[in-house]
Amino acid sequence: MAVSARDPERQARSAQDDRQSRPNPLREGLRLERMAEPCTMVILGATGDLSERKLAPALYNCLLGGFLPPEFTVVGFARRDLSDKAFRDHLLEGINKFSRNRPAKPAIWESFASGMEYHRGDFDDPGAYVELARRLERIDRDRGTAGNRLFYLAVPPSLYPEIVNQLDRAGLAAPGDRRRSGSKRGWTRVIVEKPFGSDLESARTLNRELAEVFDERQVYRIDHYLGKETVQNLAVFRFGNGLFEPIWNRRYIDSVQITVAETVGVEGRGEFYDATGALRDIVQGHALQLMAMFAMDPPVEFHAEDLRDEKLKVLRAVKPMSPADVASNTVRGQYVSGWVEGEKLTSYRDAAEVEPDSQTETFVALKLGIDSWRWAGVPFYLRSGKALPSRVTEIAVTFKQAPLALFARAGVPQIDANVLAIRVQPDEGILLRFGAKVPGQGLQIRTVNMDFRYGSSFAVDSPDAYETLLLDAMVGDASLFTRDDEVERAWEILDPILDAWEAGEGGPLHFYGAGTWGPPAADELLERDHRAWRRP
Amino acid sequence: MSLGQPPRSEEQAVHRRLMRFGEAESLATPMWEEHGTSVRAIAGHLASLWDTPTGFDDGGDSLVTEKGLPHGRASVLNLIVTVVDEAAAERVVHTLVGLGVRHPSRAIVLVPHHRSVGEPIDARISAHCNEVAGGGDRVCYEEVVLTVRGEAAEHLSGIVAPLLIHDLPTHIWWPGEPPWGDPVFEQLVEMGDRVIVDSADFSALLGGLRRTANLRRRSGVGDLSWERLAWWQELTAQFFDAPRFRRYLPNLSRLHVRYAVPPPASDRHDEDEDVAPGTPAPMAQALLYAGWIATRLGWRRHRTLEKLADGRFRVRLEGRHEMIDLLIEPTTTDAVRPGELLSVRLRSLGETGAAEFIVDRDGEDAMVATNADGMTALLRRVAMESPREPELLSSQLTMDVADPVYEDALRAAAILLASARVAAA
Repeated sequence: MAVSARDPERQARSAQDDRQSRPNPLREGLRLERMAEPCTMVILGATGDLSERKLAPALYNCLLGGFLPPEFTVVGFARRDLSDKAFRDHLLEGINKFSRNRPAKPAIWESFASGMEYHRGDFDDPGAYVELARRLERIDRDRGTAGNRLFYLAVPPSLYPEIVNQLDRAGLAAPGDRRRSGSKRGWTRVIVEKPFGSDLESARTLNRELAEVFDERQVYRIDHYLGKETVQNLAVFRFGNGLFEPIWNRRYIDSVQITVAETVGVEGRGEFYDATGALRDIVQGHALQLMAMFAMDPPVEFHAEDLRDEKLKVLRAVKPMSPADVASNTVRGQYVSGWVEGEKLTSYRDAAEVEPDSQTETFVALKLGIDSWRWAGVPFYLRSGKALPSRVTEIAVTFKQAPLALFARAGVPQIDANVLAIRVQPDEGILLRFGAKVPGQGLQIRTVNMDFRYGSSFAVDSPDAYETLLLDAMVGDASLFTRDDEVERAWEILDPILDAWEAGEGGPLHFYGAGTWGPPAADELLERDHRAWRRP
Repeated sequence: MSLGQPPRSEEQAVHRRLMRFGEAESLATPMWEEHGTSVRAIAGHLASLWDTPTGFDDGGDSLVTEKGLPHGRASVLNLIVTVVDEAAAERVVHTLVGLGVRHPSRAIVLVPHHRSVGEPIDARISAHCNEVAGGGDRVCYEEVVLTVRGEAAEHLSGIVAPLLIHDLPTHIWWPGEPPWGDPVFEQLVEMGDRVIVDSADFSALLGGLRRTANLRRRSGVGDLSWERLAWWQELTAQFFDAPRFRRYLPNLSRLHVRYAVPPPASDRHDEDEDVAPGTPAPMAQALLYAGWIATRLGWRRHRTLEKLADGRFRVRLEGRHEMIDLLIEPTTTDAVRPGELLSVRLRSLGETGAAEFIVDRDGEDAMVATNADGMTALLRRVAMESPREPELLSSQLTMDVADPVYEDALRAAAILLASARVAAA
C-alpha cells in the first residue's frame, strides 16, 4: 500500500515495518537455518505423561541445539493444583529421565525454566480461558513473544471439541489480525495428537469441530512416525538422486511390501488397543502415510501443501474394497501365547483389560492397489502386527526380473529379482540385493546384499521425532503433519474393511503364535500371487 | 623449503607419538607395518583390509572379515594430514582418534623427512571401528601413516594420490602454520578439495590471513578458528531473529569484543598443555568475528582511533546509517583457551533509545542479555562449551563446498588488522 507523503508518522511506521520484515542478515550462511520464532507454547494437559516423556525432553534438546529463541515461553494448562515450581519440576523430571541429553544442566535449566508458567484450570471453565488470554497478553508484553501462540492439545481426543470451543470463545483461536483484543500481531497454531478419529464419520466430526474454530492452515496433526529421519529421507532418496525416479513405476517394479512389526504385546494399553486394533492403530496413520510418501509423484516444490497434495493423490487412487475384496485381500490375526525375543508372551485375550472373547486384530495384512498411471497393476502388500519376531519398519521394493534368463543355457536358473529395502527402524538404512558371479571358471551366480546403514555413515545423534515436529510447528512448516483430507481419505480406504470384518463378511479372525510372522493365511495372501513376504 | 628437517632423534620422537594411534579404544585390525615399502604394496594392503570373509549370515552373505571388522563399510571422505614435528604428531593423534568416531574415512598421515636418508617410504596401516552409541552400527576408519624420506618427501602428492578412496572429497588438514609457498604444500593444495588451517596458528597473523584468502582461488578453505566462533555467531544472530530487535541492526554504533590471552608462562596451570596447540595468534577469532559482523552489515573501514598495541585496537567503521566504534581487546585469563572470545557487546541507537546486546562467557555457560525497547534486560543462561579440536575438525569435514561467509569475514579481518596497524588519525 502506498504511504501518503503527508503522513510522516505512517511513513516512519511503514519504514520500521519494512526493516523488521527483512531477513536477518546475520543468519546467512549459519549452520542453524531453522530457528523458532519467539512464541508461547501452551500445553493443555500439561501434567500428563506426554509432557514428561516427550515434550519436555524435546524442548530441552531444541534449546541446547540453539533452536529456541530467548523469548520462548511455556505455559502449562491443566486441572491439577500446581505451583509454577512444581510444574517446572515435573518437566525437569521428564528431561532427567527421558532426554537424549540428560541430566539437565542446572544453570541452563534454571534459566530456561524461568520462562515456564503453570495455569490451573478446568478444560470446561470459560473463566480459565479468559485468565489464560490475559496471561498470554502479559507474556507478549513482558517477554516479547509477539502474539505467536502454539496450543498443544496433550489430552484425549474426546476433549478436543470442548477445548477448541473454549479457546475460540476466549478469543484465543484467531491469528493476530483477527483477534478481538490484545496483540494484533502473530500467529496461532494448534497441534493435535493421533488418533484422528476411529472411522470416517468420527474423523469427519473431529475435523469439522476443529474447522469451526481454526483454519486448516492453523491445524497441525502430529504423527511422530513422520518425524523420523528415514521417513524424511525417503523424499531425498527419491527426488534428490537421479538414479531411482526413472525406475519408480509399474514398468520396473513388480511389487512393494510395507512392514510395520512390533515385538511387544499390548503392554498395559489393553483397553485402548482392544477398542482400536492394528488396522486403526498402525495402518491408518503410519503404514498408509509411508505408502503415500513412497508412491507419490514429485511435488512441484518441497512445500507442505504441494507435498500433501501429492500424498493425497496416491490415497485417492487406492480403490476402496468391496466386502468380497476384503475377504480375499485382507487377513486379520490375533496372537496367542508364544515366545518373543526369548520371553514368554501370554495370549492377547489374557492381557489386562482385553475382552476374553475379543475379536480385535493384533495383526493385519492387506493387498492394496493404486490405480494410477504410475502404479496400475503393482500390488502393495501392507502388514503390521504385535508380538512378531522382530521390531522392524521397512519398505521393500521387488523389481521385475530380467526379461531373459540369459544364463539358463549355462545351467544357471533365473536370477532372483532385485530388491531395494528401505529400513525405517531400527538400523535405518537402504539395502540393495542383486546377483553377482561367484569367482571361478564356471558360471555360478549368487545373490549379494549391498547394505548401507545411516549409523555407519553419519555418526551423529538423530533428533527425536518430537524435536523435529515441534520445531516444524513453530516455524510453520506443516510438511510432516497430516492434512484433514488425507486423514479422511485414509478412513475411506479402511472403513469398508472394518465394516466387512464387523459384519462377518471379511474372512475369519486367524490366530498366530506370538513370535511368528502372523497367521499362515498371511503367507497364502502372497503365495496366491506367486510371491512371498520378506523376512526383515 | 620450509618443511620440517628434523634430526634423527626428532624423527624418532614423532614416530613415538604417532604410535599412540593404537591406544584408541576400538575394534581394530592388527597393525600392518613395513619398512622400505612401495606405494603399490600399501595400496594392495588397503584393498585387502575389508576382504577375506569367514562368517556368513543366514542368507549366505559374509558378516565380518577375519579381522572381526564388518565386511562392508561406508566412507565419506579422505583426509590428508601432514605432521612436521612432535607437537603436531601429538595433536594429530588426539584429534584423529576422536574424529574416527564421527567420520567413516581414510586418513593418511604424512610425515616428511626430506633430509633424512634411508628407505624412502615406511608405512603403517590400521583400521578401527567404533560402536555407534545406542545402536549396533560401527563407524570404521582407516589410518595410513607414511614416513617419507629424502627426495620422495618432495613429492608427497604423487605418493598420496593412488592411496585415496576414489571420487570422495579430499580434505587437507595442516596442523600448525602452513608453509606458505612451499612446493610440497602447494601440490597438496592442488590435489585436495579443501584445505583446513587454524588461523590461530599463524605466527604472522596478517600475512597468514591474506595468504589463506588467496588460497581460496584454488581450493576450498576451512579454518578451525572460524569453527570456534559458530556458537557465538548463532547467539549473536538470535538477538536479531526477533523482528522487534532487527530494527536495531542498521543502527549499531559500537562493537566491543574481548578475547582471552594467557597469563605469563610461570602462572599457567594448563592441564592439557602437552596436547593443546600453542596459540601464536590469539587475536584471530576476535578479528574473524568482527570481520563477520562487518561484512554481513556492510561496514567499511573509516579510520583508526587507537593503533594496535598489546593486542588491543580501536577503529571507526562506516555503516549504512551510523559510524561504528570497533574495540578489540585482550583479557588475561587461563580459564579458557587463548584466543577464545570472552564477551561481545553490541550497542545500537534505535528510535526509542539505546539498546545493548550482550554475550558474556561465564565458565562453561554464557549469560545472554538484551536491553532494549525500554525493557529490563532479557537475561538467559546458555551452554558455552569450548569445542575441542576433533569436534572442530569434524564440523569442518562435513562441509564440501566453499563458505563465502567465511571468505568475506577472512578478507575483512585482514583489512581490520591492517587498519589497526596504521597510526591513529
